[in-house]
Amino acid sequence: MKLSLNWIKDFVKIPDDMDLSKLAYDLTMSTVEVEGAEDLARRFDGIVVGEIKEVLPHPNADKLRICRTDIGDGEIKEIVCGGSNLEAGMKVVVACPGAMVRWHGEGEPVEIKNAKLRGVQSFGMICAAVEIGLDDLFPVTDDHEIMDLSAFDAPAGTPVAKALELEDIILEIDNKSMTNRPDLWGHYGIARELAALYDLPLKEFRPYAPDTNEVFDVRIEDTERCPRYIGARIEGLGVKPSPFKMQSRIWRVGMRPINALVDITNYVMLAVGQPTHVFDSENISDYIVVRRAKEDESLRLLNEKELKLSTDDLVIGDSEEAVALAGVMGGAKDSVLPTTESVILEVANFESKGVRRTALRYDNRTEASSRYEKAIDPERCDQALSLAMELFAELYPDMKVTAFNDQYPNKLTCAEIDVDFDWLDRRLGMRIPQEVVARKLGTMGYKVEFTESAMHITVPTWRSTGDVSIKADIMEEVARMYGYENFEASSITTSFTGAINQLETDLIRKIKEYLAFRCDMQEIFTYPWMTDEFVNALIPDTSDILKLSAPPAPNEKYVRCSLLPNMCKAIVKNERNFDEFAVFEEAQIFRDADYSENYPPEKLPYCRRHLACAFVGRSDDVATLFRRAKGVIGQMPSYTHMEALTFKKEVKPYWADDVVWLNIFLGEEKIGDLALLSKKAALACGIKVLSAVLVEMDMEALKPLRSRTNRFTHLSEFPMIDYDISFLVDSMVKWDDIYAAIMGKKNELLRDVSFVDEYKGKQIPAGKKSVTVRLTIGSEEKTLTGAEIESVANSVIKKLSKLIGAEVRNA
Amino acid sequence: MKDKLEALLREGAEKIRAAQTESELQQVKGELLGKQGAITELLKEIPKLDVSLRPEMGKAVNGVKSSLSEQIDARREEIKLKASEISPDFDCTIPGIAPKIGGLHPITQMCYDLNDAFRSMGFEVFQGPEITSEHYAFDNLNFPPNHPARESMDTYWFEGHDSGEAKDKLCLRPHLTGDSVRYMQTHKPPYRFVYPGRVYRNETTDARHERAFFQYEALIVDKDLTYTAGKVMIKSILSKVFGQDVPVRMRAGFFPFVEPGFEIDMGCLVCGGKGCSVCKHVGWIEIMPGGTPHPNVLRAAGLDPDEYTGFYVNIGLDRLVMMRYGVDDVRLFHSTDLRFLKQFR
Repeated sequence: MKLSLNWIKDFVKIPDDMDLSKLAYDLTMSTVEVEGAEDLARRFDGIVVGEIKEVLPHPNADKLRICRTDIGDGEIKEIVCGGSNLEAGMKVVVACPGAMVRWHGEGEPVEIKNAKLRGVQSFGMICAAVEIGLDDLFPVTDDHEIMDLSAFDAPAGTPVAKALELEDIILEIDNKSMTNRPDLWGHYGIARELAALYDLPLKEFRPYAPDTNEVFDVRIEDTERCPRYIGARIEGLGVKPSPFKMQSRIWRVGMRPINALVDITNYVMLAVGQPTHVFDSENISDYIVVRRAKEDESLRLLNEKELKLSTDDLVIGDSEEAVALAGVMGGAKDSVLPTTESVILEVANFESKGVRRTALRYDNRTEASSRYEKAIDPERCDQALSLAMELFAELYPDMKVTAFNDQYPNKLTCAEIDVDFDWLDRRLGMRIPQEVVARKLGTMGYKVEFTESAMHITVPTWRSTGDVSIKADIMEEVARMYGYENFEASSITTSFTGAINQLETDLIRKIKEYLAFRCDMQEIFTYPWMTDEFVNALIPDTSDILKLSAPPAPNEKYVRCSLLPNMCKAIVKNERNFDEFAVFEEAQIFRDADYSENYPPEKLPYCRRHLACAFVGRSDDVATLFRRAKGVIGQMPSYTHMEALTFKKEVKPYWADDVVWLNIFLGEEKIGDLALLSKKAALACGIKVLSAVLVEMDMEALKPLRSRTNRFTHLSEFPMIDYDISFLVDSMVKWDDIYAAIMGKKNELLRDVSFVDEYKGKQIPAGKKSVTVRLTIGSEEKTLTGAEIESVANSVIKKLSKLIGAEVRNA
Repeated sequence: MKDKLEALLREGAEKIRAAQTESELQQVKGELLGKQGAITELLKEIPKLDVSLRPEMGKAVNGVKSSLSEQIDARREEIKLKASEISPDFDCTIPGIAPKIGGLHPITQMCYDLNDAFRSMGFEVFQGPEITSEHYAFDNLNFPPNHPARESMDTYWFEGHDSGEAKDKLCLRPHLTGDSVRYMQTHKPPYRFVYPGRVYRNETTDARHERAFFQYEALIVDKDLTYTAGKVMIKSILSKVFGQDVPVRMRAGFFPFVEPGFEIDMGCLVCGGKGCSVCKHVGWIEIMPGGTPHPNVLRAAGLDPDEYTGFYVNIGLDRLVMMRYGVDDVRLFHSTDLRFLKQFR
C-alpha cells in the first residue's frame, strides 16, 4: 500500500523537521514494514514550467516547430517540438538537459541532452504528459498533444513538482505486514499510529448530522453479513472532473482519477480505509435491500455478461433485481453514467469472510473487497460518511441530501481486557511508568481505568474485530509503542538438570556422517511426492500409497512409501554427468495404513524414517558395486555404535535382479533390502547405461548401543602368519560354504580365514572359479616352524578337497 | 720429497672434498692411492733414498696414505647420507591423492551447525511427522477457522482425508510450529528444544520460492521469561552461523501463533549496514519470524498461559544457506544434481 505523507499530515501534525528515515524506521519497528520512501519531487528534477513566447516553423521539417520559450532564467530558449497544440502564451513542461524522461512514455527513462533536431539546436524538450508519467492526471485527446499547464498559477521557471504541488513523500508499506490490522488500510490509521509513537494530537472527524427528515428506504435482510448500512440520496450533482488536488492525491498512491463522483468514494476509502460506493439514483428502483442472492439469480455486468450468483453471495438489490455484489463489485445498473445528476451514497459494513468467499468465487479481489476481508469495524462508517459529505459539499456547493437512513442492527461490542501490572512487569522484564502506558494506549483509542494493581481496558471499535482480545495483545501494544529497542536483552535463566542423551537422534547423524565422510557418498534431498513412471517401475502395489488432492503435477500425486522411486529419478538426472557415484537420502515415508493415535485426537498414517542408498557405476563391474554396498552397510554398525546387521536371502524385492539381492536383518527382524536394480526396472525408470545397487532400510528399527562394545584381547607374543591359498572350485560354490568348511572343526593353530578375491576367466575352466583365501596361522606359546605352518595349511586343503571338491591352484 | 709429500696431502684433501658422488670419489681414490697413484709412485721412490732417510720417509708417506684413506672413507659416508635415492627429475608439483570423501547436503550441514550451537545451550533436538492433521497444523496454533493458509491453494491436503473435522483432515505439514505442541504435550516443562525439518507449501516455484523447504524452529518455555530472551537466542544462532557477531533487531510482526510477534532482521553483512542491493538499501535483512507463544498455543500444549511464557524463533534454513554461500536458486536444494551438491564439501 502506498501512502502520501502530506495526506497523513491532514490528520496528525508531524513536525516539518521530522527526519524521514527516522519516521520510516520507527514505523517499521513498531507497526508495519515500510519498504520504501520516495521523494516524489525527485521524479521531476530538472523539469520546469516554461512559457512559449513565440512558435516558429522549423526550416527542415513540416511537423516540427521551434518554440521560443521562457524558462525563467532570463534568456529565451529555442526548443524544437512536434506537439500538435503549441501556441504562443501557453505554459508547458520543459525538461532541461540532465532531466530524465521516457520518450513517448515508452522504455526506460533517458537523460535529456542538448541536441540538434533536423539541423536546429534545441534546448531540452517540451514534454507530453506521458513522458513525465503524468498521463493519468493530464489525459490527452490526441497522441501528439503536449502537456498544458496554462491553468496553473506558476511563473516560468517554477519546478513542475512545485507548480503541481507534487512535493510529497510516498511511503510504500508491505501489505503482508498489516493483514491483521484492518484499521491501518488508510491514511488515518497510520496517522493514529504516528500520533501514538510521537505523542501528537490526532484529528477527529465531526459526526455528520443529516438535515433531512426523509428516510431513505434501506432493508437489511442478513444482519450477520451486513451489520450496518447507511444510504443517502444526494441531489444536485453532475459528472465532472474532481479538483486537481484530489486527483493528484488519488494518483500518487496508485489509483486512477475517474470523475468527481467516483473520486470522492476512492478518496474516502484511501483516507479512512472504509470503502464507499455511489449508485446513480435513477438506476435504483424504490429501495435498497441487502440480501443473499436467490437461487438461479444473476447479476448483469457492465460488459453485458450475466454473472450467475451463488446463494452464499450477499447482494445489494433494489425492488427489481440485484445491482451489485456487496463489498466486491458493481453490476451494469450500478455505474455512474455521464448523465448522473443524483446518487445513492452507500457507506456500509459487510462481514469479512463472506466478502472474501465471494471475491474468491469470481476471482475478483478489488480495492474494496481486500479491505472488507480484513474485518473493518462498523463504526468506521461514521468517519467515512463525515468525510464523504464534507467532500460532496466542497465539490458541489449546491448539493442536497434529500433522504437518509442509517441502519445499524448489529452493533459491535468492544472487547474488554483486564491486565494486572505484576503480570505485565514480569512479561516485559521492566516496569513502564503508568502515565506512559496511559498516554500511549489513550492515543490509540483504548479507554483505560487504573486500579491499584491492574488496569481495565476497553478496546476501541477499530481494534475489536478480532485483532485485540487478550492481555498479551495489550502487552504488545505497550511494548511496541514504548519501543522494542528500549528493552535490555536479558539472559535466559531456565535451569536444567542432567545431560541431554538422545541416542536415536545422534545415531541418525552418525550414520549420515559415516556415509558421507567414510564411504564417499553424497547426501541428496528429494520431494516427498513421486513421479508415476518411477512408482510403476519399482512398486508393485499402489493401493496403500497416500495421494495428494492437489498434487504439484498430475503425475506426482503419490506421496512416498519408499525412497527408491525418487532415488532412481536422481540416478537418471546424474547419469548424464557422471559414470560413477554413490548417493543417499534419509527421509520419512508413509502408507495409507496402520493409523496410530500418538497425539490425540488426530490419527496419523504409518510413518517411518528410512534410509536409501544408491551405488551407481558401469555395468561391467556389478560385483564391485555390490561388494561396496554390502561393505558400507555391513560396517555401519561398528562405526556408528549400534546393534549388528546381518544379510540373508528371504524375500526378493520386487525391483531386484533375480540373483544379486539380499535382505538386511537386525536379529530376527527384516529391516531392509540390498540389491541390484533389475534391468527391467532400470529401463522403466529411464536409467540408460549405468547399473545401480540400491539399499533401503528402516532407520527407526536400528538400535543404538548405550556405549562402545569393542573387547580387548591380549596381544600374542608370537608371530601370526598370513598364508594365502588359491583354490579352484565349482562356480556355484558360495563363500559362506568355503568359510564354513574351513572353520568347522579346525586346527587350533588356525586363527582366522578371510576372503582375498575371486576370479573367473582365462586359465579357469568353464563352470569353475578360483577363490583365494587368507589363513591366519599362529600359536600363543611359540614361534611356529615352517613345517608346522605347512601342516595347518595342508589340513585346510584336505578338508576343502573332501567337503567341496576344491583343488589347489599352483600352490 | 718432503715438500712433494706435503703438497700431495694438501691437494689430495682438496680433491676428496671436491668429489660430489661416489664414482668421483672412487676416481680420486685411484689417483691418490691406486696402483699408479701418487702415493704408490712416492713409495716406489723410497728405495732410491739414502738408507738413513728411508725409515723416516717411509713412515711419513704411510702417514699421508692413511690420512688420505681416512678422509676418503669419511667423504664417502658424507656423500652416501646426503644423496637422495630418487632421481632428480622427480616432480613435486604433481597433485596429491585426496581421500575419497562424499558430503552432507548443505542444508544438513547448516542444520548440524545449529544443532551443535543449541545443544551447547542445553536444547534437545526433536523431530515430528511430516504428515499432520489440520488440528495440529492450524487449530492448536490459534489459526482462525477461515485462515487462507488452510485452503488447498496453500497447503497440500491428502485425497480422502481432505474434509471433515480438523482432527481427520491430513496434510503435508505447512510449517514446523505444530510439532512444538507435540513435544510439549509429551514432555514436562520447562522446555528448551529445537525441531528442524522440511515443510511444504502449494505454490508456484521460482528461484526464490519452493514447494518443499527447510525450517529450523527453536522454542524455550519457562515461568519467568521476557521476550528479550529471544534476542539472546537469535544472536547466539547467528554468530554461530556466520562466525561473527551479527546485529539483530526485532520489530513488530504478526503471526497467529505468537503474541506479541516479531519480524527479526539481521544487519546486512555485505555492506555492514550501510545499505546495498542485497539488503535493498535498508541495511537490514529479514531472516526469521519469532515471538511469544500465543496463550491458546500454550493451552493446547496443556500449560497455563498465566504461569508459563516463552519464545519461538523460526529460521528459514534454505534462505540462511543461500546467504551463507551466495546460492541464487532455491530449487537447487532439491535438484539432486551432484554438480551442485559436491560444491559443499
